[in-house]
This record gives sequence, structure tokens and C-alpha cells, in this order.
Amino acid sequence: MSLHLVGEPPADAPAAGLVPVGLPVDQPAGRDGAEAGDARRGRLAPLWAFASFEVGRLVRSWKFLAITVGFPVVFYLLFLSDHTAGRIIDGTVAWRVYLMVSMCSFGSLVAALNAGGTRLSMERASGWARQLRVTPLPAWSYVTTKIVASMLVTLPVIALVEVVGAGFGGVRLSAPEWVGLTALLWATSLPFAVLGVFVGFLVATDAAFPVVTGLMFVLGYFGGLFTPVGFMPRALQIVARALPSYHNEALALAALDGRTLDASHWLVLGAYVAVLGVGIAWKHRVEEARGIA
Amino acid sequence: MADLRRGEPRELAMVAASQAVPQGLPGIRPVALSFDGVTHRYGQRTALDQLQLEVTQGQVVALLGPNGAGKSTTISILLGLVRPREGRVEVLGSDPRRAVADGRVGAMLQAGSGVGLPPGVRVAQVLGLVRRLYRRPAPLEWIVERADIGPLLRRRTDRLSGGQAQRVRFAIAIAGGPDILFLDEPTSAMDVESRRGFWTMMRTFGDEGRTVVLATHHLAEADQIADRVIVLNRGRLVADGPSATLKAAVATRRVRFVTDHPDATGLSRLTGVTDVTVCGTGVSLDSLDADATIRDLVAREVHFRDLEVTGAGLEQAFVAVTGCGVAAPPTGGAAAGGAAAGGGG
Repeated sequence: MSLHLVGEPPADAPAAGLVPVGLPVDQPAGRDGAEAGDARRGRLAPLWAFASFEVGRLVRSWKFLAITVGFPVVFYLLFLSDHTAGRIIDGTVAWRVYLMVSMCSFGSLVAALNAGGTRLSMERASGWARQLRVTPLPAWSYVTTKIVASMLVTLPVIALVEVVGAGFGGVRLSAPEWVGLTALLWATSLPFAVLGVFVGFLVATDAAFPVVTGLMFVLGYFGGLFTPVGFMPRALQIVARALPSYHNEALALAALDGRTLDASHWLVLGAYVAVLGVGIAWKHRVEEARGIA
Repeated sequence: MADLRRGEPRELAMVAASQAVPQGLPGIRPVALSFDGVTHRYGQRTALDQLQLEVTQGQVVALLGPNGAGKSTTISILLGLVRPREGRVEVLGSDPRRAVADGRVGAMLQAGSGVGLPPGVRVAQVLGLVRRLYRRPAPLEWIVERADIGPLLRRRTDRLSGGQAQRVRFAIAIAGGPDILFLDEPTSAMDVESRRGFWTMMRTFGDEGRTVVLATHHLAEADQIADRVIVLNRGRLVADGPSATLKAAVATRRVRFVTDHPDATGLSRLTGVTDVTVCGTGVSLDSLDADATIRDLVAREVHFRDLEVTGAGLEQAFVAVTGCGVAAPPTGGAAAGGAAAGGGG
């Protein structure tokens, strides 16, 4: 038997003259020129490529759009009626404004949970996430890009609900108020984006859909997006204060009402981002140790 | 021969270093990857045990072994997906993660559930994304031609057959024009036709002087593609050699029968016999030509019964190559998964 066993020196290796490592036939020969171009493209090029790919995928998915855009807009129009629209709900905020703000919150919640959630869970189970890890795309950028992509799709949902609010709900705000409201709602939807990615990372594919649906209901209803928190029983008000959806909405309402933005809202939202982020990082580490990341 | 693609000074130093180690090889062959005393455990289970390995650039290497042998762990380590508990691993002279970040390696990993491609997009879009992740991607036409995916570019990724999806995944793996290509059981879900086509693809890629590392438990696959076969079992390297040698080892047939008064010395002189095991009345012969051995048995009027010839299998190849793990010789009519019975005549 001439196969050498372990310990013997390698006696093999094809002795045929080594062919130069093949350049793809029509690859540009001018390496130096290519280097200069690379430097200009910068380190962020792969990130940008991945982020735009992700957003493109979300926007092209009619199911995703139907759910994320359909729900808040339809709910807004359903819940708005002529004799309730002007009723004062919170401070100086009327029902038509409250409903627009809460549907913006709900829209960004639904968009973020669906952008991550089931899609992400399936994608990870399929091995695509792992495939990306063996490209030059930096390891940390998979998660961050997913979060960024979620944030990028929540913005147009918020804007759309605002347009419906202004067009059909008779909401009248000044230009700075519109901009400020949009920015505030958008910035405070970050916990939703992180939550969507968290579900995609930690929940198995077959459980992800029920979990996403459950979270939509719990965060939507108990967070006071369908019924103002002030109208809820006391026990549920306590529950609401523990949920990011409540604080997301409460900050926007406080701003519209001209109140100061209470630090406790920011603290709760920040805590959600931190805790969920740690959860994702933990899962990532576990998978890495097991070799399945 | 220096690496013509990336002649950086650090690499030249590495080339010189590898030259200093006598390998009995002509010319200078840069090291593509090396394992030095690598051990890895998942909890209590040892996946790799003191692995020592070196692959020079331009080799097409098959990592052969049964499930759980450590093949996927080896590839995961080479791709920086797993950090080994002990030992040193280098890919193209640097840390595996460095090689991945530099876009010098490509990989086709085992797909999980589904096809391992993002759903809802066209093949061209996925390929476009992956190319944009590399600073110096391979030209699109080259990738398309190599992976034979021309007709698939406009198709949606969730509407591909298993074989087509694998070709797209192969295209993704070579999109960066890698110096080293890792393939982990790439043909496991393919029919015979697709598998053959895939072998040609891998072979063509290797023929360009690039390094290919293929993990497989199909002996035929290792045989078809690789210049060198590395056999792993239970995390240990058990054999390492050119595929032709393994093929010869596999050509060995085991002839088993029962005879009243076995004469080991006489039996060892039979045509084709390389090894004789006698246990009571049970005889087990390893033969390079089972037909001739049996004809010889008849000619010498050895009165045998319960004749059984077992054919080529990975199991047998392991046994032949490693000389270990031999099952107890059969006695009486005990038959352990015998294949075709050779006819005497």
C-alpha cells in the first residue's frame, strides 16, 4: 500500500509544473490602477452594496408592502370618524392626531418586525447568512445592515401614514412640526428594528411567524396604539409603560402637545435596544463557538 | 514559481520559507493552507484531534471521510467561522479571517433548509451583490461561463431546482475569483447527471492552478476531482495520498468463505491475494482481482462454501488504507452486507 499514513512525509503532490494561478481571462491586467480605484471605493462599499440589496428586496416584496403599508393606513381610515376626529385625547392632542401618531408607531412596528422576524429566521436557517460570512463583508455588518435596512423601510411607512393623516384625517401641523414629528417617530423606532432582528436571530423559523404576530398584537394593543393609555385600566397602564411601543408614541404625543420630553421614555427605549442587542450578540457567539454561525 | 496574481513581499518570504522545508517537490510551491497541531472540541466531543496538514497552491484536494469525521469543522476553521481550541491555522500565509476579508477565498458551504439563497430576488441580483462585496471581483461573464448559469440569471432564486441552485451557489463561491475554493459536500443533493456536470466545473477550476478543497463522503467524487485525497476519521488524519493510490486501495475486493482445513500459506499464493486472515474455518482474503482469485481457488481444488465477495466501498477503502477497523472475520455462514457474489468457473 503506497498511501502513506500519518507521520510519514508527504510523498505525493502532483509533480507537474505549477500553472500560474489563473487570472480570470479578461480581468484587467493593470493591478496598480485597480488598487487606486479600490482605495477610492473605500471600506464601506460592501456595506452599501448589502444595504441597498436588502432594501431592494424588502421593497420588491408585495407581501411585505401589503402588510406594512396596508395595516396602518387601513386602520387609520377605519378608526377615524367625523364625530370622533376632533375629540381631545391627550393634553391638547385630538383623536385624529393621536390616531395618526399611533398608526405611524404601529406601521413602523409592523415594518420592522416583518423586515427581521420570519424573513431573517428563514434566511439564517437556509445558510445564506453563513455564505455572506465567508465573503469580505465584515462580520458585524450583517446584523447592523439588517437593522439599518429595517430603519430605512420604517421611514416611508411613517411618512405615508402622515400623508394620509394630512390628506384624509385633516391633521394640520406646521412644517417644523411635521419634520420634528417624523424624525422623532423614526428615531424611536430603532427598538422595533432591533426587536425584529432579535426575533430573526433567536426564534426558530417555524415559531417566528406566531411570535411576530403575537408581538404585533401585544406591542400594538397593550402599548396603547389602538386605545389611548389614559383610557385603559390601571393595571394595563403599568404594562404599557414597560413596552417600547408606548414610549415611542408617548414621546411623539408629548412633543406635539408642547410638553418636555421625559427622560424615562428615552431610558426605556435605550434599555430595549441594549438588552436586545446583547441577546443578538450572545446568540452570535454561541453559534460561533459551535461552528454554525 | 511565484504567485503571479499577488506578488507581495510577505508572500515571497513565505515562499522562501516553504522552500526551506524539503518536500521533495520541484520548484517553489507556495503554501495555500496549513494546520499545525489543530484540535477542536464541541463541548465534550472532539471534532479535530491534533490535525497536521499542509496543502500547496494549485492542488485539488479532497477531504474524504464519513459523517462526523471532522470535514466540515476543518473547512469552517479554514474559513475563520470557527476558531480552534488549540493549534495554528494559516490560509495563504495569514489568519483565515484575513484571507476571507481580503477576498482571496471562496466557499460553497452546506445549505441548510431551502436552497441557501435569499428568496424573492433574481439570480443576477444575488450575483451582483456578491461581486460588489469583493474589491476585485471576477468578471461576470467568466463566472457565468464557469458555473454554467447563463440561462438562470433572470430566474428567481426561489424557483430553481436543487441542481440549478447548487450551480448558482458555486457561482457565488467563485465570484471573487478566489485563490482557494472550499466546497463542503457540494453535490450531496444532486442527481447523477448534475453531479457529473458539477465535477467538470470543479475540475476546470482546479486546472487553472487554483487550490480547491472539497469535503465529501463520496469516494467516486474524491476520485474524479482530486489530485490528492486526505482521509479523515473521527477528527484524525488517517491517510493522505494521491487519488490514484486510493483508487488502487479501493480496487481491493474481500473474498470470504468457509473451508474445513484452511492453509494460510497456500491461500496467500493465490492469484491477486494481498492479505489472508484465517479464523477457525473462516477465511478472508483481500484480493486485487477477485475473479482470478476465485478461478485459482477452483483450480487448486480448495473446497469452499458460503463464498462472498464484498466490493468497493468507502468503508473498505478506509480499512484498506488504514489497516484498522477490520471487522471480525466471518465464521460459518455469517454474511455482513455482502455485495455481488463472484462466480467460480
